[in-house]
Parts: sequence; structure tokens; C-alpha cells
Amino acid sequence: MSKINPDDIEVILATDCGSTTTKAILIEKIDGHYRQTYRGEAPTTVEEPAADVTVGVTNAVSEVAELAGRKLLDENDQILRPSNGKQGCDIYISTSSAGGGLQMLVAGVVREMTAASAKRAALGAGAIVMDTISSNDKRKPYEQIQRIRELRPDMILLSGGTDGGTVKHVVQLAELIAPAKPQPRFGDKYRMPIIYAGNIEAWEPVKETFDDDVELSQVENVRPQLDNENLGPARDEIHELFLEHVMAHAPGYDKLISWTDAPIMPTPGAVGNILQTIAERDGINAVGVDIGGATTDVFSVFDGVFNRTVSANLGMSYSISNVCAEATMLNILRWVHVDMQERELRNRVKNKMIRPTTIPQTLEALIFEQAVAREALRLAYIQHKEFATTLKGVQQQRTVGDLFTQDSGGQSIVNNMKLDLLVASGGVLSHAPRMHQTAAMLIDAFEPEGFTTLAKDSIFMMPHLGVLAQVHPQAALEVFERDCLIYLGTCVAIAGQPKPGRVAFRYKITGDLSDEGEMYAGELKLLSLSGDQRATVEIEPARGLDCGAGKGRPISREVRGGEVGLILDARGRELAVGGEKGADRQTVTQWVNSLHLYED
Amino acid sequence: MKQFPYFIYVLVCVLVFGLFAQSAKTVQAEKQPTQTDEQPVQSEGQAAQAKLVVKDHPFDGGDKLDISIELPQQVYQSLTAEKPGGTIMLMQSEEEGGLYRELAKYPPNDGSWKLNEKAHIVSIEVSGLNTKSEYFYRLYWKPHEGEKQIIAETSGPVRTKREWFLGDKWKLAGVGILICGSVIFFIEVAKRGWKLKVRRIAGLEAVDEAVGRATEMGRSVLFVPGIQDMNDIQTIAGLNILSHVAQTAAEYDAQVEVPTSRALVMTAARETLQGSFLTAGRPEAYNPDLAYYVTDEQFGYVAYVSGMMVREKPAACFYLGAFFAESLILAETGNSVGAIQVAGTAQPSQLPFFVAACDYTLIGEELFAASAYLSGSPEELGSLKGQDVGKLIVAVWLLGGCLIETLTVLSIL
Amino acid sequence: MAHAYTPGLKVSRQTKLHCRRLLPISGKVLVEVGDLVEAQDVVAEASIPGDIFPLNLASLLGVSAADLPGCMLKNRGERVEVGDELARSKGIFGFFKKSYFSRSAGVLESVSKITGQIILRGEPIPVQVRAYVPGRILEVKPEQGVVVESNVTFIQGIFGIGGEQYGKIHLACENPEQPLTEDLIKPEMRGGVIIGGARMTHQAVEKAIAVGASAVVSGGIDDQDLKNILGYDLGVAITGTEKIGTTLIITEGFGDIGMARRTFELFQSRVGSQASVNGATQIRAGVMRPEIVIPTADDSASDVFDDGAVEGFLEPGSSVRIIRDPYFGMIGQVASLPAEPTVLGSGSKARVLEVKLDDGRKLVVPRANVEIIAG
Repeated sequence: MSKINPDDIEVILATDCGSTTTKAILIEKIDGHYRQTYRGEAPTTVEEPAADVTVGVTNAVSEVAELAGRKLLDENDQILRPSNGKQGCDIYISTSSAGGGLQMLVAGVVREMTAASAKRAALGAGAIVMDTISSNDKRKPYEQIQRIRELRPDMILLSGGTDGGTVKHVVQLAELIAPAKPQPRFGDKYRMPIIYAGNIEAWEPVKETFDDDVELSQVENVRPQLDNENLGPARDEIHELFLEHVMAHAPGYDKLISWTDAPIMPTPGAVGNILQTIAERDGINAVGVDIGGATTDVFSVFDGVFNRTVSANLGMSYSISNVCAEATMLNILRWVHVDMQERELRNRVKNKMIRPTTIPQTLEALIFEQAVAREALRLAYIQHKEFATTLKGVQQQRTVGDLFTQDSGGQSIVNNMKLDLLVASGGVLSHAPRMHQTAAMLIDAFEPEGFTTLAKDSIFMMPHLGVLAQVHPQAALEVFERDCLIYLGTCVAIAGQPKPGRVAFRYKITGDLSDEGEMYAGELKLLSLSGDQRATVEIEPARGLDCGAGKGRPISREVRGGEVGLILDARGRELAVGGEKGADRQTVTQWVNSLHLYED
Repeated sequence: MKQFPYFIYVLVCVLVFGLFAQSAKTVQAEKQPTQTDEQPVQSEGQAAQAKLVVKDHPFDGGDKLDISIELPQQVYQSLTAEKPGGTIMLMQSEEEGGLYRELAKYPPNDGSWKLNEKAHIVSIEVSGLNTKSEYFYRLYWKPHEGEKQIIAETSGPVRTKREWFLGDKWKLAGVGILICGSVIFFIEVAKRGWKLKVRRIAGLEAVDEAVGRATEMGRSVLFVPGIQDMNDIQTIAGLNILSHVAQTAAEYDAQVEVPTSRALVMTAARETLQGSFLTAGRPEAYNPDLAYYVTDEQFGYVAYVSGMMVREKPAACFYLGAFFAESLILAETGNSVGAIQVAGTAQPSQLPFFVAACDYTLIGEELFAASAYLSGSPEELGSLKGQDVGKLIVAVWLLGGCLIETLTVLSIL
Repeated sequence: MAHAYTPGLKVSRQTKLHCRRLLPISGKVLVEVGDLVEAQDVVAEASIPGDIFPLNLASLLGVSAADLPGCMLKNRGERVEVGDELARSKGIFGFFKKSYFSRSAGVLESVSKITGQIILRGEPIPVQVRAYVPGRILEVKPEQGVVVESNVTFIQGIFGIGGEQYGKIHLACENPEQPLTEDLIKPEMRGGVIIGGARMTHQAVEKAIAVGASAVVSGGIDDQDLKNILGYDLGVAITGTEKIGTTLIITEGFGDIGMARRTFELFQSRVGSQASVNGATQIRAGVMRPEIVIPTADDSASDVFDDGAVEGFLEPGSSVRIIRDPYFGMIGQVASLPAEPTVLGSGSKARVLEVKLDDGRKLVVPRANVEIIAG
């Protein structure tokens, strides 16, 4: 890989090899700014008959080349570099989640402490964590061994103990993993990579425990002290081993690795990367979600702390049946404002599961699918909130004043009131026929509070930009701002439970939009405010309700518009829909109408 | 699960108790005439024809008699006139024809006499009697000094009767029933699957965290059950929590250490530890030396524990029990070695020290509520809730009483 | 022309099946290239390392972990029987010694001087792999398994429950539109593969389990019935390990849907033949579909490779099945393929096609919602 001066980069080609399709985009410097110009798509070719990922990449790239009228491939189907007029590109980068992505097993001493840190490191690197083994996971050692044997991870991350801390527990974990002789997913000849990121003093005994059947490497402890986390080295090692071992054994990847100018990243790792970059630059708190067919990824950056979770069995096609099983039909149907037959729906759900590529043809099918999406997102976000916490096991500093407010460690850092930007991506969200539907799904599932800007990823470009950010951050950020995000608008929502029939808040809007009025409990209102417009919204909440300044306190903020506009939400938080006390079908219908969800 | 509507429950209880108290009053009032149906021990007086009725005092311990005297109109009037025209004397003897001694006289009324103007009845309650003796009464009328005549006399011996229940404790019974009833009621409520909300006790939630810290750091968990013996309820409460701490430690495979300052506490702690290790499914990890006796001397003990903390640097310290002057010494030492500390005591004077120096503190009652909180069993939760509600009812009554009293004094009511 | 999705279901009268039969771990292959095998013959076997019994011996003996190796009476790799004295503590001046007698049998695998834990490994667990289909061994992968070649009638279903089964084909329904009900299942179908028509009912499946059928194959199943049979709501489509007493395979989808006529006729022509069935399904990367394999005696037509429904291109005249409500299960021919995306009832824009049904009706459906089937 040659080092190129970032200023000389004019044309960037990026691909993302997903499990079903390979997407290629072209980024060009136009008038001094980087813009995404063309995109192409082709089926991924990891499996038989092609069994070579580069075939799919070449197909996708040739589609881009055709559209752009730019020659990107030479006669041997090699990517032409550097660019020269209407030929070639300056750098080529790629991400991959083909073959189910990177699947890992993590182990740590205490589930909530070092094991959680190890899990965070693995998730942050873009892996799917198949299981977490810990001393206190309530399983007997033989059950843990049985589990390790059953799973066939690509890699294992072993952590445990602070530096100078426990040796016994860490060796115990090693003693569980070593005899279980875990088998890697791909390749018979390939030795299971195990990363050790635990107590530095336990390294020697751990090394002795494993034999030559595994590829053992050591990095810095993920939790050198309980009071701080050090995930970077473990993440980097995961990326490296991902390339060296996992990728190298997947069909065609050796070739792809040699083509790229930056290391191939697992797709979710790249998405996390760009979100982090953006949040850091603008100093905002952001949540991103990518709902796929099989899994839902949630990324969050709160006060500079990045977290990612994968809900492995929450998705819109392969896993749709599982969403229905976990959320229950009753919870899904509460979002539906028209009559539907449950028995019929159950069969439809299963049919979608066995034929995952179909799309809803009727409005009824769309309404149902979006109701399922709300529940899938809601469940995924709950899992995310439970995982994204402050560190546990940290000594607290108290004064006598804290007598009645003794907060413990391990509180969720996800705070919807502090959330500034919510980004949606994934089929059901980005391909919804109306952007209003995307906005409504986001608001219903994530329940943002206060002022939250909503956006969607136009063509699922975030993975490409995530890798690009490592090579050329400026280009990545420019494209992200200009082409990647489509702003839907801003949601202004009140937290707390407004009293039925009473005014929840008063609002006064000035700027590009002038309006004034009252919002009654349970009301939703959509005001049009286009993408280039800005308005100042003053909110005066009723007593006991909060819009960001504290209970009952007025607040004023500038908001941005978008394709949907400004949404005022007086339904209260948590949203109560369905059941005995929640909103009934009539109310849900009102919401649907006030947001103009299913009409032109 | 549904949340139990406490507010309504308390309201209903207060009302029921109010009605009960009210009705108890009226019952007493109503019962008076019916009691005359009892065979009255009475005797007709001679000349002045006063009527002496001696009855056993209802619901007493057999030491009281109620005596009421229906006086002839003229006697009554001369007694109650502004300038009394004579006195009556009530005499009592313990044998027939024996020596009568004066029991009470009227006027003056020292507060023991009750007057019924309409029926010309004066009555008095005689106490200090016993069930074994027989009593005879006589009433003298003394119009002037030096002259007295018997105007009424009991015809036969009167005996007191001991009752099963003491009448003046009815209200206490009501309170008792209300509190016990609340406990039983809430146990039943809890068993039926209603959700009983117990305020989050951060200190107990933090047990996992503290033990986890000790595990990760490869250090021990120190548990100090106070410096009092097993007769102190706080020590027992502390050991209750020890069972939870030890179970967690056994699950995490962390080392627990329990130095005690009383031999009995050591034995109890060992029992607790053994039970916990067994529950956690790791009986082999139990070692009786985990709990040991140091000294009865308050500061000898403290010196030992502090010294050990400085040397071994435990990562988690629990101080749960009765503490005195040593509280701050222990807590400060623990803080300086970087341990997560959970303290709990019902000694109000020591609480501020613990709050300032420890990560989590159980305040007073929380220490006792711990076992219910930790187990979450409907019996324990229900009884915790029942007691709380009982206290709440009493508090509401107290406040209500004070308010009414105040208003009455201010003549608003 | 356009690429159309197809679940890749093969329905083939005559095909040469190359069946890979591999061990989960390295083991021994029992056959050689060219051998003729029967469906239930064992072709390879291995022993999975036995169960593990970890034991914290140091605490049991009351010695420190570091002293444990000195107390061991058995060496690493040595066999231990139940009741054997495994270790003895040194005691004080030779007194107060404490012994531990093993409560499980196995081989002493490790003794840790850090944790004080020993690991006993139990008896190896034998794993056998059967040939699954009768045929000839085409290839032996040393220590891993074999490839069996066989001429078969091969039918893939869309979804199944349960693992590998063997049995004779019994036809229970008279036509592919007839639901498979309880009364159609007869006791003589014991041990057989029951072929139904349309939806299989809950009662029918229970009856099939009661008579001891190896497998039940039909066009569809109601999801509620499936939930009743399994006892839980199936979440993720990864199946094959369920133990309900029989293997279930549906060929078309969920709901009231008849088996494709061609599939049905294929079964009809093979009534009485011995079949191998596997319900294992995995709808994810590395897709796996349930299958019914019926070996054919006829070796002559071995090169005829008729794949039934395969990936293909949509063009006017291709036979397609609509695979999404509201027209789920309907079959027709492509009438036209408008090039421009059309707005659907749902409001989204998608490329569509016009399907002419057998009754002459014409429907417009998104291209994603049809699959090409063999005409």
C-alpha cells in the first residue's frame, strides 16, 4: 500500500461487501469539495459457484464505471490507480460483513466488569459476540466448556483481572477454553486466534495453559484498573487478526486485501467509526441504527463515549419471526391502525422469513412491516441502553449531601434528553416510501426527548465513509455532510406523563417559520420546515414535564428542518401505546393522520 | 404485575380505625345501662333511703368495683349546694360486721366522684382490691360534725371479678390488629402476585459490584459485623447481609474475611458462611477460618482490623452492625486503601461518618429491611410493607391528633 | 430480461447427487472409494473428546493450590476410575492426612498449581456418520468424511423441522390441493414418509407421530399449528435439532397452500420407494433447505441433469409463482416486464411485472415478489 498525499486524492472508490450485495461508491473532488457521485451494486460472491468475493466487487465497480463513464478496471479486472483524467481512482477502500461478519467469543472474570469491557472491545471492533463466558455467569464449568465447544467463533478475546489483580480466575478461564479446543468456522488448517487482554501478571501462566493448537497473542489489558478502560489495543488487534486470519481464509479475500489501500474493516466497525468522528467534531451526542435482515446494530456516542450493540436476532427478514416472538403480536399490533387478522399475519411473517427478499406490495403489508420495525428497533435500543453503561466496580466519592441519592456504578449512559442526532439506516428505514414513515418509526421506537434532529443514511454509505475517515477524514466528513445524510427534521418531545385533556406545553416558533400554540396531552403535530430552513422554537412545558431545561422550565433552541419538517410530540415519555392504559387504536389513527404517514 | 394502591389502603385503614375508635366510645356509653341488669349487690338504706349499687368494674384485672349511690333529693341538694350542708362518707370493710374504714368522702370532690344531677346519683370507682377478699360497704350521711347516720349498706359480701381482657387497652388492640393485619394483608397481597415496591437500596445493589471488584483485583472481601454481641439486633441484621455477601463471593470465587469482636458472633458468622457457600453450590470453598475472633476490646479490635486493612488492602469492605467510636477509623482506613465500602448501622450518631467515608450506606431501618429486600420473598416483603404501612397509619394518626389538639387549644374547633 | 430471486429449490426427477458426509471433527473413514453403501451404513466415525469434570481438588483437600501437584497420586494422562484415590494431603508430621476418592471416571488431563483445579476427561463420545443415501463412494476426504454419489429423485422443501429420517413414500392425498387431515393418516404408514397435498393440520401431524411415521411432507402449514406442535414460537429459521417424533417438511410456504403440481406428481410416481429425508433448514448465509432424496435404481440416465426450478431470467412467458401476499401462492406466466418503476399500493416505487394467471386474470406485482418455477 503506497502512501499518498491526502491533498492529491481526487477520486476515491469504496466498496462494502455485505452478506447479500456488494455496494460500490465513487467519491470525486468537485470544485474543491468531495462529493459522492455514482454508486453500483452487485450480488456478493462469497459462496458457490463463484466463491471469490472479488467477482462481486468487480461487478459492482464495473457498474459504477459504466454510470460514471470512467474507466476503473483494466483488462485484467484490476482497479486502475492512480487516477488520470477519466481513468482510474486514487485510492480504493473496502469493508466486509460477508459470511456473517466477524463472530467472536469473549471471556472475562466478572461479567459486569472485565467481561463487559472485553465485549465492548469486540463489539466496537465490529464483531458479533456469540457468547460471553465469565466466572459469575451462573454456569457450571462443564456447561461453559460445552458451550465453547458448540460455538465456532472466528476469534476469542480473553480478558480478566486488573493489572496486578487476580491471576487465579484468569487462568481458570484459560483452563476452560484450552481443553474445549474451539474449532474455527472456516478452514481446517487454521489455528484459532486467541487474544489475551487481561492481567499482565497472568500472561505467563495463561500462555502455559494453551498448547500449539491456538494462535495466542497478547495486548494491553482492556481494564488495567477497574476505574478505567483501555479498549484501543484490543480493538486494533482484532482488526489485524480479522485481516490476517479470518479474511485470509474467506474465499477471494486475499486478493481483495492486496487491492485495497487501507485495511479492510468489518462493516459495523466502520459505521461506528464515522459516527464517532462526527460526534467528536460537532461535540454532539448521537445514536445510529442499522436495521438489517438478520441483525440490528445500534451505535451511540454520549459525551464522547462510543458504544455499539448488535441484536443478533432482531431483523426484518431472516429474523422477522423472532421479532414477533420476542415482542409478541399484541405489542406489534398496537402500532397498527387498521384491522388485521392475527392468524393470517403469523403466516405472512413466516413466509417473509423463508423468502426474505420480498417487498410489501399493499399498504396493509407496509403498515404491518413498519409496526414490526418499531418493535425490533425498540427492543434493540433497550438492549443497547442496558449495555451502554458507566464502568462498574469503581470507587465512589460521596459527601453527606448524597445521603438519599446514592447512585451506583453501571448506570446507562444513554440519555434520550441529551441526544442530539438520531441517524437511521437499513432497508425498512431508508427505503420507506415516505420519509414521514421513517421519522415516525424512529420517534416511536427510540422515544427521543427534548430536541432531537432526525436523519437517515441515503444509500447506506456510512461503512464506506468509516474506512475513508481513517485514510482521509476530511473527505469522509464532507461526503457525510453533503451526500450521506438526508435530514428528516427535528423532533421536539416532552418527557414525563402529561395529564390527559390538559395542555402539555406551549410553543412559539420564530425564524423561517412562525407559529404559536398549545399542544394537548397525547397530540402530535407536524409543521413544515424544509431542509435549508431554520427556526427558533420556544417551549413552555406544563408543570412536571421536561423539555430539556428541567421540569416545568421553558427552553428555547434553534432547530433545523428537513424532508419531513418539525414534529411536536406531546405524547409524553415513556410512550404508552396499547394495553389497558395506553393509547387506543383511535389515538394511534390520529397520530398517523397528523404525521401524514400513509397519504400523499 | 400491578402496583398496589397503598394510598387507598392507608386511607381505608385510617378511616376504619377512626370508626372503630368512635364506635368503641359509643359502645361503652351504651353498655352502661345494660350492666345494671346484672344482679346488683345492693342494700336499701334505713332512714334516708339512699340506694347503694356495687358492681364489678367491667374488663379489669379484678381490682376494681364501680359504686353508684342514688341519693335522696334533699341529701343530694345539700351536698351539691354552693355551701354544702353535710358530707357523705363511703366506708369499706373486709368482713361482715368488721371494722369499716373510710374510703372516700364527698364533698370535696377530688375528681374521683362522678355526679349525675338528674338522677341524683353519685358514683365512684374503687380500686386496689383483690379477687380473694370479700368487701362490704356502708354509706354514712354526716349532716353536721359529730352526727352521722348510715343511709345505705350492702346486704352481702361483694367480690371482684377478673376479666379476660383489660378494657383500657382496647385501643392498643385496635392498633395491634391494624398493624398485624396490615402485615398479614400485605403478605397475602404479595403472594397473589401484586408488585410491592420497595425503595431501591443502593448499598445492597452494590454488593455484586463490590465483590466483583475484589474478584477482579484478586483481593479479599472484608466483612465487619459490628462490635456488639448477638443480643444486638443490628448484629443479627448484619449477619443476614453477610449471608448474601458470602453467597456472592462464593459464586465469584472471591475470598471473604470476617473478623469478629465477640466469640458468639464468630460462631454465628461461621454458620452463616457455611450455609451461603452451600447455597452457592461451592461447599468445598468453605473454610471455618474465614470467620475468626479477635478481641472483645473495642480499640484492640479496631487496631487489628485497621492494621489488616492496611496490609492486605481488601477491595471491598462491609461494615454492617452496631458501631460506635470506631466507625470513622474503619471507614477512613478502608477509603485510603481504595476499597468499595458499604456500611450500615442503626446508630444515628455514626451515620454521618459512614455516609462521608463510604461508597454506600444503609441508613437505620434499611439495615433491617435488607433481608426482605434481598430475598424478595412474598412473606418477607409483605411483612416489611405491612410494618411500613402500620407505621404510616400511626404517623397519620399522630399528626391528625396533634392537629386537632392544636386547633382545639386555639379554640378553632 | 431481469434477474429474479429464487430460493434455489431443486425439484428434480433424476439427478446425480453428490452428498458430502463429513464428521464434525477429525476421525476415521470406514469405507473406500468405489464402495457401494446403503443409506444407513456408517461411513465414518470419530470420538469427540469426552465430557469434562473440573474439580477444585486443592480446596477439597484443604491444601494451597501450589502444593496440589505434590499431593497427586495419579499422573497426567493416567486413567482414573470411580473410587480411585486421586490425591492425598501431606498432613502434619504425617498425621491428619486427607484423601480424595474420585467420583467420576476418566483420564486426568491437567493439574493446575494456580487455581488448584484438576480436569478429568470422561469417556470419548462416539460420533457416527451414515451414508444417508445409497450409492457409491466417490471421494474419501481422509479423517473427515466421504462424498457419496447416487442417482436420485431430489426434492427440496422450503422449510422443515427435525433431522435425518428414512422411510417408504406413502401418498396420503389424492391431489396437491387436498389438505392433509387426520383421517388420511393410516396405521400402515408407520415408519414411512407421508406425502400430503396442501396444508398439514396440527391433528394430522399428531396422528402421524402417533402412528410412528418417519416424516410428513406437504405443501404448507399454518404457523399457529406449527407453534402448537413445537410448543413455542419459532424465532429464527435454523432448524434440524427439534425432537418432535417425526420430521416435517413443507414445500411451498406457510398457510393454506397446495404443493406444486410437478412436485406432487414426482412423489406420486415414486410411491413405495425408500427415501431419505432431512428437515434441517437454515435461512442465513450458508443456506440449507430441507430435502427428500429418493434413490433411483436406473443408472443409465445418470447424466441427465434436470434441476427443476433454478435461477433464471424473467422473460415474457416464464412460469412464476407469486411469493408475497396478497396473491401468495398464485402461479402464472409473465405477461410483460415494464421497464419503468411503478408505484405500488404501499406507496413505494419498484420494478414490477405483469403476471397472467391460469384463469386469465392479470396481476401486477413487484419483481422481488415472484420466483421462477419450472413450467
